[in-house]
Amino acid sequence: MSYPLSSRKSSEVIAHDRDGPVTVGTLMTESAALAKRLPQSRYAINLHSNRLDYLRGFCAAMTAGHCTLMPPNREPETLRELERAFPDSYRLGDSNNRDSAETHEVDAAPEARTPDIEREQPAIIAFTSGSTGEATATEKSWHTLCQGTRNNHLSLLGDISKLVHSLATVPPQHMWGFEMTVLLPLMAPVAISRHSPFYPLDVAEALAALPEPRVLVSSPLHLRTLMMSGVAFPPLQRVYTATAPLSSAEATELEAYFNTEVTDVFGCSESGIIATKRTARDDRWHLTPPFTLESTASGTLIRAEHLPEDVLLRDQLELIDSRTFKWMGRHKDMINIAGKRGSLADLNTRLLRIEGVRDGVVFQPEGKHRLAAIVVAPKLTPAEVIRALKPQVDPAFIPRPIYMVEELPRLETGKLSRSSLLALFDSLRSGANPRNAGEASDQ
Amino acid sequence: MQAQSDQERELAELIVDTLNLEDTKPAEIEPEELLFGDGLGLDSIDALELALAISQKYDVQLKAEDERTQSAFSTLRSLNAFIQENSARGSEPV
Repeated sequence: MSYPLSSRKSSEVIAHDRDGPVTVGTLMTESAALAKRLPQSRYAINLHSNRLDYLRGFCAAMTAGHCTLMPPNREPETLRELERAFPDSYRLGDSNNRDSAETHEVDAAPEARTPDIEREQPAIIAFTSGSTGEATATEKSWHTLCQGTRNNHLSLLGDISKLVHSLATVPPQHMWGFEMTVLLPLMAPVAISRHSPFYPLDVAEALAALPEPRVLVSSPLHLRTLMMSGVAFPPLQRVYTATAPLSSAEATELEAYFNTEVTDVFGCSESGIIATKRTARDDRWHLTPPFTLESTASGTLIRAEHLPEDVLLRDQLELIDSRTFKWMGRHKDMINIAGKRGSLADLNTRLLRIEGVRDGVVFQPEGKHRLAAIVVAPKLTPAEVIRALKPQVDPAFIPRPIYMVEELPRLETGKLSRSSLLALFDSLRSGANPRNAGEASDQ
Repeated sequence: MQAQSDQERELAELIVDTLNLEDTKPAEIEPEELLFGDGLGLDSIDALELALAISQKYDVQLKAEDERTQSAFSTLRSLNAFIQENSARGSEPV
């Protein structure tokens, strides 16, 4: 049994490119041409940062029967690790760029039909930071993606019936951006802007360049920055936010600033989007049908027919009834920085693997976003530690500052209590000599 | 190291203060040193915080030259040049 790569008509607009609107038919034609040029490997590593190129690349890979790998970041060592695990793979959108769609060639090509994809075809493998220093992989079939997207269409756009024009500040290669700006336009009346703007003025301009009705897809950190910039934004039908918590006060301010409803979205890479709420008015999440939740000793199980397996969410959820829950906090190993999820245990493992590092700890100081680190490595400087971490870790998780000490105040058992860690950190910050700080802990 | 102009020094102070760069003194930021990625090693979170601080202090909104190099102002010197070019206040002391 199969589903089409897009359930929309060929004549429908799916994107806005430099030269104007792009229809589903054009996208399928370009993807079909690209598919013919792809290597004969099982896996595609799509590294395109341009949204439209990413979409085209994904469609080409699906057409060719290749599964798209989605690494947790695009650092060189992460990609090397991925290729070691999946040798039968190729990169799309790397600096070699042999795959950049030469659309001039395609103008003369006959319009391609939207291909049908077998429902069980492996479509993507999403990788997320595990706590052991190795990423966990979730393989999803085309059926999983299609059903998830149909669910999202209903829960996110249900009350919007016209074609909406969408601008996102989030990248297409993480699950939030992937669901909203790659999958959703394939199945729902959404036309995406090719832009991924960053500065407030650029975001406002890219939005103004879109026809109405417009929606903005972003994250709390970015939205806060847009609001505080004071830049004027054009009328918006809706703002969608995900990847980090949003307070009700903040949501209220955002709704006033953008003069529209802000829809908060909850999900994880493994399950995709599972719930929504209008945070300015609601303190409870509403589960998207057909997901169900079950509390267990180790966390909350997320279930749905279309998921390859049940997903264990380690965040603390309070289940109110079968359709609503409250989010009480994250599992203490997981950190969220600028909407990116990471594991402290994973980062610590990587730190300790660095040659020359005898001991060390990466942690999130009280009240701060950014991670810090305290390291025992007599022959290394902080810059060298950063240089070693950079190729394998998302930039958001690179610790700053990094203090070098003679030893960490560990107990005999080897454990390091958070209070002694924070006390050491405070003394280092206030300028105490690191050698003394190490010695003081012996007393 | 190359000398910082007064304006560059003021901008360096803003960078260090806004981003709580505990290891760096404003006078240590070379005018032609990369701010993002290598060099000073700032990242996109820093870019957002800095953009806000700059809009508040200089009343200038940053724009990316190219989406791929979002943090388009590669050095203290080029960032200051952009601010001065776009600032209504010109060389008025803040």
